[in-house]
Amino acid sequence: MASLPALRLLKRALLADHLVLWLCLVYSAALAPFTPGFASWGNLQTILAYAMPILVVSVGLTLVLIVGGIDLSVTSIVALASVVGGKVMSADEGWLAGHALAVPAGLLAMLSVSAGLGAINGLAVTACRIPPFIATLTTMMLVSGLAIWLTLSRKIGGLPPGFVRLGQELWLAGMTAGVTTWLAHLALSCTLYGKWLYAIGHNARAASVSGVPVARVTFFTYVVSGWFAGLAAILFTAGLETGNPEMARDNLLDVVGAVVIGGTSLYGGRGRVSGTVFGVLFLALVDNSLNLLGLTFYTITMVKGGAILAAALTDALRNRLLTQE
Amino acid sequence: MKPLRRHPHSVLHPDPSRAAGPARLAARLTASLLIAACVVGCNKSDSTSPAGEEPAGKQLTVGVNFETLQTEYWVAGFEAIKAELKGRNIRIVESIADGDSNRQLQQVRTFVTRKVDGIILVPKDAKTCIPAIKAANEAGIPIVLFNRPAAEAQGVRSIAVVADNRKLTRETVEFMIGEARKTGKQHKGLVIVGDLGDINAIGRREGFYDAVKGQEAVVNVVAEVPSEWNQEKARSGVVNALQAHPDISFIFSSSDFLFPSVVAALKSANKYHKLGELGHVILGGFDGDATAYQMLVDGYLDATGVQDVYFEAERSVQALLDRLAGKEVPSLIRDPGFVIHQGNLEAKRERMWGAQVGRK
Amino acid sequence: MIEFAHIEKSFFGVNVLKDVSLAVKPGQTVGLVGENGAGKSTLMNILGGNVRADAGEMRLDGQPYAPDSPRDAERAGIAFIHQELNLFSTLSIAENLFIGGFPRSRSWLPFINRRQMLQRTRSLLAEVNLPHAPDTLIERLSAGERQLVEIAKALALDARLIILDEPTTSLTARETERLFAILARLRARGLSLIYISHSLDHVLRLCDQIVVLRDGAVVANEPAVRFAMDRLVSLMVGREITQLFPPRAARPTKEVVLDVRDVAQPGIVRGIAFQLCRGEVLGLSGLMGAGRSELARILFGLDPCAAGDIRLEGESIRHLPASERIERGLAFLTEDRRAEGLCPEASIADNVTLVALPRLLRSWLGWLDRPRVAAEVRRMREAVKLTPTARDGQPVKTLSGGNQQKVVLAKWLLQEPKVFLLDEPTRGIDVGARYEVYRLIRQLAARGTGVLLISSEVEELLGMCDRILVMRGGAIRDTIEPHEFDRERILRAALHHGGLA
Repeated sequence: MASLPALRLLKRALLADHLVLWLCLVYSAALAPFTPGFASWGNLQTILAYAMPILVVSVGLTLVLIVGGIDLSVTSIVALASVVGGKVMSADEGWLAGHALAVPAGLLAMLSVSAGLGAINGLAVTACRIPPFIATLTTMMLVSGLAIWLTLSRKIGGLPPGFVRLGQELWLAGMTAGVTTWLAHLALSCTLYGKWLYAIGHNARAASVSGVPVARVTFFTYVVSGWFAGLAAILFTAGLETGNPEMARDNLLDVVGAVVIGGTSLYGGRGRVSGTVFGVLFLALVDNSLNLLGLTFYTITMVKGGAILAAALTDALRNRLLTQE
Repeated sequence: MKPLRRHPHSVLHPDPSRAAGPARLAARLTASLLIAACVVGCNKSDSTSPAGEEPAGKQLTVGVNFETLQTEYWVAGFEAIKAELKGRNIRIVESIADGDSNRQLQQVRTFVTRKVDGIILVPKDAKTCIPAIKAANEAGIPIVLFNRPAAEAQGVRSIAVVADNRKLTRETVEFMIGEARKTGKQHKGLVIVGDLGDINAIGRREGFYDAVKGQEAVVNVVAEVPSEWNQEKARSGVVNALQAHPDISFIFSSSDFLFPSVVAALKSANKYHKLGELGHVILGGFDGDATAYQMLVDGYLDATGVQDVYFEAERSVQALLDRLAGKEVPSLIRDPGFVIHQGNLEAKRERMWGAQVGRK
Repeated sequence: MIEFAHIEKSFFGVNVLKDVSLAVKPGQTVGLVGENGAGKSTLMNILGGNVRADAGEMRLDGQPYAPDSPRDAERAGIAFIHQELNLFSTLSIAENLFIGGFPRSRSWLPFINRRQMLQRTRSLLAEVNLPHAPDTLIERLSAGERQLVEIAKALALDARLIILDEPTTSLTARETERLFAILARLRARGLSLIYISHSLDHVLRLCDQIVVLRDGAVVANEPAVRFAMDRLVSLMVGREITQLFPPRAARPTKEVVLDVRDVAQPGIVRGIAFQLCRGEVLGLSGLMGAGRSELARILFGLDPCAAGDIRLEGESIRHLPASERIERGLAFLTEDRRAEGLCPEASIADNVTLVALPRLLRSWLGWLDRPRVAAEVRRMREAVKLTPTARDGQPVKTLSGGNQQKVVLAKWLLQEPKVFLLDEPTRGIDVGARYEVYRLIRQLAARGTGVLLISSEVEELLGMCDRILVMRGGAIRDTIEPHEFDRERILRAALHHGGLA
């Protein structure tokens, strides 16, 4: 159909597997000469430190989107887990202030609270059959309210140095995020769980007729998503050295946006962890570079919105091209 | 975009010639589009940056980061700081965190990356700004916290220029109580408090209770409305309180920017009257914004505690310069502020930022 | 009234229509038959304005006709009633009829003239003999009634030519009769019809002229009276199919594999009792709504079972969930392939292995044994003779209906089931694929699987089964042994006293 060679090239570029990675590279290359301080080791660290916790949340959300759900509560789970961590570990007001086991207990508390909240989402969606949008929206409201109520909106400082190191040493945070992302990738591509996830996302009824334990897998996925949010909360909290009931409040759209830019379908059944990695990276690059250029927050938000819209359009176009072949 | 080009050698420079044929062309196409977009972006940033010409000698650069620009107060502060910096021929790099501590941390790190000479920061809150201050400390860049102090933390150095919220609120409310006493009857009082995660809101709440303590014969506080710095919440809170206590006749709002909500609630209860009219509700606020100024001029507002934005801006910049010059600077600089009311409106309006904003 | 002359069309270099010429006269009903992929849909899409021809022309009443959109076709008086009906189920009949343009009270005002709309709807419903109020919601109507609404919609547009694509697949026998009566009336009024269907007996009965398409070319275009079933089939497939059903290789055993005892579910089925033996093909006949599919769903564990017992190889499975019944050797090909049988967007390989995947692991952690998965996919593709041109990674939605059904079969065959419940396995698939399905059923039975074959086509049951059960009103009314096989007896048991509504 496309007789012009340029059109054909564009088509092939659109269908390329790692389109977003290419975009990241091209974008960086294009902006580096004009953006003071963009291409520097220090800035790369800034970008990575900013992107790492968001990546962890996004990976969890990717799984939920693939199974055909949505989890709007992830960022509020981050906030609550952050508060819980502070409440356990803080030297100022923590329950285990100064205790030798404060840090491991704090980490455990953060992860289990988040996984528990994920389990509540999972139960609401599977056992009570509440549409995921409503179920997780409700959780979001309850959980963010709870986080503020627990702290009366105060921030919790005085976190133990052992914990804060997680945020200061980039390699520690990088390893945590990297390993979990890699595990999620393996689970999706090489395991029964991954295959089941895609099948449910494609057609839950057909999967159920084929003997896939739909409810169990869906439930488990929400638990994992909550757990990832808890892990992200550890990185966020260590980075800001504060248990903060408003943590990640404004990141929900970044997270959803990154997952969608990464090519995961909001209708379920399609998506990859690698795509999400590049999606997060792309948004972080855009954010960072425009900041360096001195653009205002509102302009940056608009550009990001544009990028997400472009991603959605690209996805639609890709779909059309794929079905035509 | 010339003055912005500080690092001409890029480290991140992927080699496009290694891309496959079709991808390469697509990449070039995309690149040219992006460059075009970026040129537009650079022009934009030039227009906001003051120093169009290349200065002789070393020009200082100061990074200004505000947590938000969502209220007039912050806009006035932002403008005042920029005017102060411009007046001293200092280049400005600005960013707004829009209420997100994490973003603020990233933006301060970005200032550090750009090697600014000093940073003026309106922190999101007292605690989450500590890593940002640490980052500036590590890079040896002096940092001034405008209007909000940081929490105590070990080995973290910053200079805070803040209004004494508690004291100024106490003075304002004491003035209101004086007015109330003149009426010779007992008033039922209502206080609207801000987001209690904000140290300023806490200070104002404390200042309010300092003033009313022991004055129950004049003002009996019957309702406390939590607003979380949200106009809608403030409005519904006041409406509800007026329903429960229709005879409330004394209202203090922790910030002037909530006045539109208060006025709407009063109007719907038919209780919005000028000073001296029958049924006037004694009104007081804090900040000194344009709404409050207009209400003062129109004769509806009794008093408001004005933060002296110009004083704070001047002191912030001066503190940075002093620190850069190696002088000793106290870690806390207080803005005494002043109470403005019908009696001193003429004399004080020049220092009231809301009056200046309203004049524009 | 419409004439196609030398129409050519190709997609991605594949010729799907080759020099197609045919004509439909006013008041004539033309049957269009051919295997899936023969080009019927493309030809009708060209007529309906969805696709443009590469070459050739169409003439409508002698004038050149080249629609750019379905709206153009509508304006020219051509209505297309698709296999999947295009009605809005939460809107009323009247709203559906006029969705393309509501009658207004004033032409410049955006208000609907309700009275006029209801009045016209009433007269249109009378024309198609549908005794419902105009404000009845579509979701309340049966499939057959919806079909009639579609026709009323075509009449509302003053259509002179109506294209019907597989209109009877979801209709009961009675509804089909009703539809045919309406179609006869329309024909008498001078409307032209193009009738596309795999139900060749319907085509033979209804049409004046039959056009057979094969591989994009017209292979026959003659008055209907010159065709007989055999000839039509052999024209369609291009080879003589002497026997529609593959020969029986083995006799069923007497060893009971599935024992159903007095299964009941209030309002659905009652007193269901039968035994299925190894190697037996047991037919289940009955009208739509008689409880056949519902029974299959209960046996498989998708729907609840209030009373009775279901035993697989002597062990009760009544309280087990579907996933465990599958593990014990139950398999179920559902009636609705797209909604329940397949993940249409997923690949052939993923669909084929979906059921058997838990057996293809390397460790308890859930790691897949990929080489084995790939080998099994290859083996099953050969077993069901899936089209060799498709890649393993290709989404199944890109396959033809017959090949899709083969994927569903492959999925279950990989599990080597002991009992296979098949609900309308040949619905909507072409003759060639149909034969493959029959062959696979025979093969299964020969290996000792017990097969329960639910079908609305009596011929199919007679040709394939060792025994036939007839259901009506949620209960088994008759059990017919091979020596008593008889069309009439089945129909009588299914209908009895005019049958069920």
